[in-house]
Amino acid sequence: MRPLPLWLRSGRVQTGLVIIFILAVCAIFAPYLAPNDPNEQNLLSILTPPVWVDGGDAMFPLGTDSLGRCVLSRLIFGARVALTVAFTASIGAMIIGAFFAHVAGYFGGWVDWVIGRIVEIWLSFPPVILSLILMVGLGTGLRNVVLAIVLVDWTRFCRVLRSEVIVLRRRDYVSAAQLVGFSHWRTITREILPGTLPLLITLMSLEMGVAIIVEAILSFVGMSVGSETAAWGQMIADARQNIYEAPFNLIAPIFAIFFAVFGFNILGDGLRRTLDTRLTQTERT
Amino acid sequence: MRMFATIAKLLVKRVLTAIPILLLVSALLFCILRILPVDPAAMSLPPNATVQEVEAMRTEMGLNLPLYQQYGIWLNKLFHGDIGRSIHFRQNVTSLIGSTLPATVELALIAMVVATVFGLAGGLFLFYVRGTRAEAVMDFISILLLSLPEFLWSLFLLLIFGVFFEVLPFTGRLSPGFERPVVTGFLLLDSLITGKLSTFFNALEHMILPCLALGIALSPSLMRVLRSSLLDAYQDDYIQQARLRGLSEKRILIRHGLKNAILPTLSLMGVQFGFLFGGTLLVEIIYSYPGMGNLMVDAIRNADLPIIQGAGLTYCIAVLVISIVVDSLYLILNPKLRVR
Repeated sequence: MRPLPLWLRSGRVQTGLVIIFILAVCAIFAPYLAPNDPNEQNLLSILTPPVWVDGGDAMFPLGTDSLGRCVLSRLIFGARVALTVAFTASIGAMIIGAFFAHVAGYFGGWVDWVIGRIVEIWLSFPPVILSLILMVGLGTGLRNVVLAIVLVDWTRFCRVLRSEVIVLRRRDYVSAAQLVGFSHWRTITREILPGTLPLLITLMSLEMGVAIIVEAILSFVGMSVGSETAAWGQMIADARQNIYEAPFNLIAPIFAIFFAVFGFNILGDGLRRTLDTRLTQTERT
Repeated sequence: MRMFATIAKLLVKRVLTAIPILLLVSALLFCILRILPVDPAAMSLPPNATVQEVEAMRTEMGLNLPLYQQYGIWLNKLFHGDIGRSIHFRQNVTSLIGSTLPATVELALIAMVVATVFGLAGGLFLFYVRGTRAEAVMDFISILLLSLPEFLWSLFLLLIFGVFFEVLPFTGRLSPGFERPVVTGFLLLDSLITGKLSTFFNALEHMILPCLALGIALSPSLMRVLRSSLLDAYQDDYIQQARLRGLSEKRILIRHGLKNAILPTLSLMGVQFGFLFGGTLLVEIIYSYPGMGNLMVDAIRNADLPIIQGAGLTYCIAVLVISIVVDSLYLILNPKLRVR
């Protein structure tokens, strides 16, 4: 058998991938895994505790919320929103951020100046506030949540990648490519992009965690998907109202968010250690 | 003396660059919120108003003018301290923000102190255990902590200390029955000025959980940067030189290592404290803390445009102020940047 590539042998990367795999299974097979319909209200059994506590009902393994909806089912279905946002928003933010970072870093001069100022304007807004304002303008819904996160977080990629591009642009092989007469586009995609790719992948993994948190925040204040779609932030908002009667309802979605974000963070950290050769030299000593 | 001159120069430069940023941000805010499908004129009239009345109101509010003219009028009023009237609360936005901003600033400032203390202590500890078996464990814990945003910390601390152990209050700024002294708007300061110590301690109790949540959530990134900058600093020759001179490890750490490693940490703090100021929004909602975050979310739920614009702009100014202050600190602590 061929040995695994270096990055897959890292315990952190493996842990992260296992967590993401579990979440993905929950999201894809949600209708088969969930014991109940996540939106079905059982007004006769509201706020029942989890099954291992006195008064728990085996029908609702993790209890019910204030409308008698099954917490476990909503948790499983919530993974769909979380993962959809995590993947699409981070890919979108990556594409925009990486594009501007490469253009700014490669061409330098006034292009770099203009892009730098735009990023500066973006950074003068706390991300939470900016995404909330964007959601007011765009209106609620899954697609707009993704759009808002992309529009807020592309700067994360742009800032970090730009300085990486500037370092790579000065390498001899880039000058060689330019001398051979490669077009700018070809130089960027064939010579520079392979060099920034490790950092880009790492950033993307971290961004997925950020996107999950932002979605949870938006749905917590009721500015994300509609109430008919189960989302972890909404579950928290609901449980916050009944914190004394059903504290467990709050713990379950908190843990789900933490679990997902931790998975992406540990994956990102593992990738950073194994893929980024320059960082690992100082980290390891 | 020279230092003051360079700092003054930096301040002037930063304030001058802040002005176009603020202008652009205000234009952005204005445009984003004007494309909304809500009609401020119809909203500020009773529901049984006729079409003619709404139309008259639209003309009176200037909503029929071209967008750039509307923005000009809005900007002109802004310079005169008038951001408009809240549609929902029927109050001036300036006074609404004026009454909630001190609460948020108070929260953010104390949280910054908490974050700095935890961040520095944690970073030093991470550095101290380098190369030992504890390092892997601590490193793992720091990633674990990094995965808990202030939003989850708030809920978590609220559950533990507010609900399970019932040792700390978790709603509002004061318990019922306490009179709120109003001098500056900063509750802790006001209660000290007026000499009401019981109010001061009650307010302080209410601040513990929200400030801890914000501070703890921010500290892991500070810890990790401080550790890696300390590791970098210890690569340099001057540390070896200091060792050869027979200085104690503690002295090397404080006088040589930390002095150099604190700079990258500080420049990260500028960005992070800006985020922290935005993070107060969630914490305020969770702890029903009457600050700008609650005002903002109320306004969003009611589509109250003047407040959203005013509060958004205030958040922006706060972030710029924070970054200017941190940059000046950076300049004070970094002699390399001082004289050109």
